[in-house]
Amino acid sequence: MIATVLGLLLRAVVVLAGTAFITFALLWNAPGDPAQAIAMARFDSFLTEDILDQVRQEAGLDTDFWSAFGAWLGPLLMLDLGNSAVTGRPVWPDLSTAIGYSFPLALAGLVIGLAMSLPLAILATRRPGGLLDRFAVAVASLGAAIPAYWLGLLLILLFAVHLGWLPAMGARTPAHAILPALTLGLGVAASLTRIIRSGILEARSQPFLPAIKRRGVADRAIGRDHVAPHAAIPVVTVFGLELAFLLEGVVMVEVIFGRPGLGTFLVGAIEARDFPHVQAIVVLTALLFVTVNLLIDLIYRVLDPRIGERNA
Amino acid sequence: MRSVIALAGAILFFALIGPFLAPYDPTAINIPKRLSAPSAEFLLGTDALGRDILSRLLHGARWSLGLAFLISLIGLVVGTVAGLLAALGGKLADWVVMRTTDTFLAFPDLVAAVVIAGLMGAGTWSLIFALSVTGWMRYARVARGIGLSLQSRGYVVQARLAGMSPWSVARWHFLPSLLPSLTVVWTGVFARAILGISALGFLGFGVHPPLPEWGTMLLDARIHMRSTPLQMIWPGLTVVISVLAINLAGDALRDALADKGTAR
Amino acid sequence: MLTVDNVSVSRGTSRALQDITLSLAPGQTLAVVGESGAGKSTLIAAILGLVKPSRGAITWIGQPVQSCRPALVMQEPRAAFNPALSLRRSVLEPVVAAKLDLPGDRLGRLCRGLELPMDMLERRPNEVSIGQAQRAGILRALIAAPALILFDEPLSAHDAVTQKHTARLIAELQREEGFAALIVTHDLGYAVAHADEIAVLKSGRIEEVATAQSFAEAPQSGYGQVLRDAAIALGALEPAA
Repeated sequence: MIATVLGLLLRAVVVLAGTAFITFALLWNAPGDPAQAIAMARFDSFLTEDILDQVRQEAGLDTDFWSAFGAWLGPLLMLDLGNSAVTGRPVWPDLSTAIGYSFPLALAGLVIGLAMSLPLAILATRRPGGLLDRFAVAVASLGAAIPAYWLGLLLILLFAVHLGWLPAMGARTPAHAILPALTLGLGVAASLTRIIRSGILEARSQPFLPAIKRRGVADRAIGRDHVAPHAAIPVVTVFGLELAFLLEGVVMVEVIFGRPGLGTFLVGAIEARDFPHVQAIVVLTALLFVTVNLLIDLIYRVLDPRIGERNA
Repeated sequence: MRSVIALAGAILFFALIGPFLAPYDPTAINIPKRLSAPSAEFLLGTDALGRDILSRLLHGARWSLGLAFLISLIGLVVGTVAGLLAALGGKLADWVVMRTTDTFLAFPDLVAAVVIAGLMGAGTWSLIFALSVTGWMRYARVARGIGLSLQSRGYVVQARLAGMSPWSVARWHFLPSLLPSLTVVWTGVFARAILGISALGFLGFGVHPPLPEWGTMLLDARIHMRSTPLQMIWPGLTVVISVLAINLAGDALRDALADKGTAR
Repeated sequence: MLTVDNVSVSRGTSRALQDITLSLAPGQTLAVVGESGAGKSTLIAAILGLVKPSRGAITWIGQPVQSCRPALVMQEPRAAFNPALSLRRSVLEPVVAAKLDLPGDRLGRLCRGLELPMDMLERRPNEVSIGQAQRAGILRALIAAPALILFDEPLSAHDAVTQKHTARLIAELQREEGFAALIVTHDLGYAVAHADEIAVLKSGRIEEVATAQSFAEAPQSGYGQVLRDAAIALGALEPAA
């Protein structure tokens, strides 16, 4: 058991290292002069060679790849994210502010999505193939095909422009968060419905269930003790995937609704070639994902000891 | 199931002949007629520069669908080769390929694509690169799984004993078993690519204007949301329909494969 | 001349084969008998080069054994063929892969020798009977005229009548083609009837090597005696006169 945990940890470390390296290499080799982009974002005035040189020096662009990589990686391992190439301010405070905006939104989206999908999936699977079930499948398929930004625009069109009920742009009031959260939640609901539904159906079709029923165990107990844990496995997987979906969704939604947060932070950093900002986001995201996947892997092995052997 | 595949095929077909059906040149600017509502003259109305929206949609299919198709094929080739390498190449190759796939998978593909496309500058090539790089991994996993299970089959052993080169073995003995599953993966990647292209287009990291692409059309339409809201509906609708059709075809394929598996 | 020289093979932490020494002259037949789990499959895998011995070497006339392109006839005939390809395509694979020339009537001659109608070759593996599939497997093993052919329980998929028949065909072909045969089997009757020498394998070790004749009359090892007596009791082996 310890061996597998260590093995998984090693994998995680390798993956993180790879991500850090690829990001840095990408930034380094991106076309266009990063010094120019940074300078333009920082200053309004006319750009001279001196200014560009100064920018290069400060941003560490005048050295070679490996020294720059080391210069970034070193502090990173000490949990120092460095300073923005544009503003000169430390990365972490600005980043954490952005996360502070995005995280509640993501959470709200997840809760809304779960609130919609869980009851729907459970009710739909009561009568597989029935009207509600087919409705749920149709809705899930449709939801998977609808891009978040289009949905958001439509919701704005309906609720903000046409009906005038809800505000659209910005994040001034909590009411401003309703439409973005709803947009996010609907997308999450679509994929969750499908996964939960198929998880329940598969758990129900376990071969030993009819035998247990014949022994007289109550339906509710069957659901609680046999169906739910087995269905939990794919659902747990899905949470890992949903995280990806949530992150993408949050980025999109923030851009559409003009909210501050990770989305605008990222897009702005890319356009300004603000290396430290971009790297920080990438590394943190990767860290989040790798950790979540690691936890999921571990939970798997607890829920189903066979999985460890299957992978060997 | 056949009907769904036929539907997907029909969509692709329209994507190909669409440009020939378009009544107008999608880049033809016509300021006096800008932002007009749907009419007999312009079936879906015109955009901010007076360009016929229907024509732009039809031409845009080539970009939104065609590029997605290309991207999904690139992923297919790269991913399958990587997966087979992992399965056939020994423990070291397996480890390297698997860690590489893990690294690329450690990221939500859209965010990665945004970063890559954003850094490489807007344009078709960075779009293709960004979305290909984030899409090949699914194929690799499937190819590796099937490759590993096929390795111990009798006829594969015989082929190796006979002295067949690994490439011949892969081509004759692995590919037929791989193709069904890979096709299912392909539909998923294709659909995601469509969503990805239009998402990147909407964020401004997509193809260069004035090339019509559904995502960039949405971006344009957004500015005029209040005056001509209808404009926003069409490009999104086409994306939804295409993705839906392909996803449904993929589901039908997956079900058909599962039936075949259990029937045997 | 196949020489297995002090070979040991490890599977994980356990020794599947230990200090195996065998020899097989061209044109001769060596039967390797033993129970399930004795290590017969591992021995085949080692000779074919599919697993590497942790000690010792397997050579054919001094060269690594793979240089003579040994062929394998598998226990499960249908598994040895790609279900999507015709038998002809699979049977000819060894010559195609090694880029050898196939002398004019070789395929026809071998088919006649194995009593396989030529048009049967156009069929798929699951469109022919088990017996035909097994003989097609033998055909594939023979097609490139290898000097050594390994047989993994070649008769186990057949009924008794077909067994005798196939065994006779193999023996005739061996006389014609002149290949050395290493036959892994648990059927002592078959081994005594068709092999020149018998090697007894138990738990990864060679218990005894003897000519078929002397083994049938008087096995040297205790285990060999057990096997022989059991075979006589089952009626697989005629008691020695």
